[in-house]
Amino acid sequence: MPPRLSGSLIQLPFSLGAVNPQYILPATNSIRTFGIRSLNPPKPSRFNVSPNLPVLKSTPTAALERKAATLPLRTGVIAIKKGMSAIFDPETGKRIPCTVLQLDRVQVVAHKTRDVHGYYAVQVGSGWKHPKNVTKALLGHYSGQGVSPKRHVYEFRVKDESGLVPVGKLLNANWFQEGQYVDARSNSKGKGFAGVMKRHGFGGQDRSHGVSLTHRSLGSAGPSQGGGSRVYPGKKMAGNMGNEQNTVQNLKVLKVDVENGLVLVNGSVSGPRGCVIRIQDAIKKPWPTFAETTEATETST
Amino acid sequence: MNRQQGEQPVLISLPPAMATSSQFTRQLGCIRPLMKPQLFIQPQISRRSITSAFTPKPEPVPFPTTIPEQFLSQIPDRFRPHAPKKLKIYPPPPSAHAKCKDPIATVTESQLAVLDPTGERRALFDYRRSARSVKVGDILRVTFKNGDPFSGVCLSIKLRGIDTSFLLRNELTRVGVEMSVKAFSPNVESVEIVKRTEKRKRRARLYYMRKPKHDMRSVENIVSNYLRQKSALTGQRSANRKKR
Repeated sequence: MPPRLSGSLIQLPFSLGAVNPQYILPATNSIRTFGIRSLNPPKPSRFNVSPNLPVLKSTPTAALERKAATLPLRTGVIAIKKGMSAIFDPETGKRIPCTVLQLDRVQVVAHKTRDVHGYYAVQVGSGWKHPKNVTKALLGHYSGQGVSPKRHVYEFRVKDESGLVPVGKLLNANWFQEGQYVDARSNSKGKGFAGVMKRHGFGGQDRSHGVSLTHRSLGSAGPSQGGGSRVYPGKKMAGNMGNEQNTVQNLKVLKVDVENGLVLVNGSVSGPRGCVIRIQDAIKKPWPTFAETTEATETST
Repeated sequence: MNRQQGEQPVLISLPPAMATSSQFTRQLGCIRPLMKPQLFIQPQISRRSITSAFTPKPEPVPFPTTIPEQFLSQIPDRFRPHAPKKLKIYPPPPSAHAKCKDPIATVTESQLAVLDPTGERRALFDYRRSARSVKVGDILRVTFKNGDPFSGVCLSIKLRGIDTSFLLRNELTRVGVEMSVKAFSPNVESVEIVKRTEKRKRRARLYYMRKPKHDMRSVENIVSNYLRQKSALTGQRSANRKKR
């Protein structure tokens, strides 16, 4: 005997016109089901579901909650390190060393949202790349967002959607205020393949007392049979040094020059001249009040 | 081999007179391979004759012009009725880098405009450009904002923009003393040239003057002489101030 549709699942003829059959049939499952149906339908979730359960620690929600205190409210910007200089305080006569950072065509390229990507972030690009040298996929990304192809693109996480600056907006040097604190993140200078004395500050070995040819090498790499006769993971050895990301926290913004896109921060930041520096509000200082800054950016753009 | 092949038919046809007829059958055996059926049929030749017949190249079937839209994604771009969508490339915004190629110089200039508005101090130490500038070996007298002076022979001048500095060497209580002074520091009130070097020094850095053989020892006498002359020239007031 061929399977039959139950009365509630028979589709209405299309002569009814534009009226959706869903609206006519009161709350029925519109999926046509054939064959044998289970009398005990499976539960929607195999976990304990009820309204008053605590949030699990390993969920994305809990992870975002834990991060909320240390996620900046505003996006950061991409800057180029131009070198170091100094500023003399005319009153006290104190010399303050500073690093000169330049912002070049920094623009918001895209957003990352909780719904789609699982977190809030602002994708920021800077500089310009000739479209000839950009892959078609990336070109599509830029042209879809209405921005020119960018030389450097980085993401800056923000706490919530209020930190999502509209796409295409230019971030000028006045994104930061004089006197506020920032964190500068960049790759340190590469040192190449370095020995343990330079890389980890080992003491090396004796100049004499029978030591031959191993004056700058490490001693033993681990214990003998008692320790398993193996080298433990993470043993400090010679290898590539530098060119790894480093963050310098709590740098004071000494001066901001909107016209030339310059931001002067106190002290030094990692990396050689011309490297890419990401600066964002310092997470260990109170968030700056930036109502005026955002207005200023709007008027200038 | 040949012999064996020749003898095989003999065994079948003439079994009793094997030894005597071997010569004869061997001759017949030469033509035996010709009697194989394949040679007469010659299938190779016959097949070749069929394939070598001329067949004209088939006319290319024109690509269908009307293809339902759901199949368009399956065919190559060049066969689709509409050309692929052209990406719109947006022009870059105005560049800050093009405007300010040398930010360090910009920062230095803006600082010097505050610290040295007249450009006097700059000319005093820029020994590469201004002829009247301080040279190494000159005896200088620096007055600081808090009032205490320091004088000494100039051992080196480091031209580093805003961080331009010079090194003075003197002797206080018979102990050699050196002081590096930032030329544009707001703490430096004035820099005077007490005495020019007699002969142009042939070194840019006179670190050899730290050696006992070349040490100038104290320059206090020369400085006090200069101050006396200066007070005589300018008037009594400054001399009174110096005596106090």
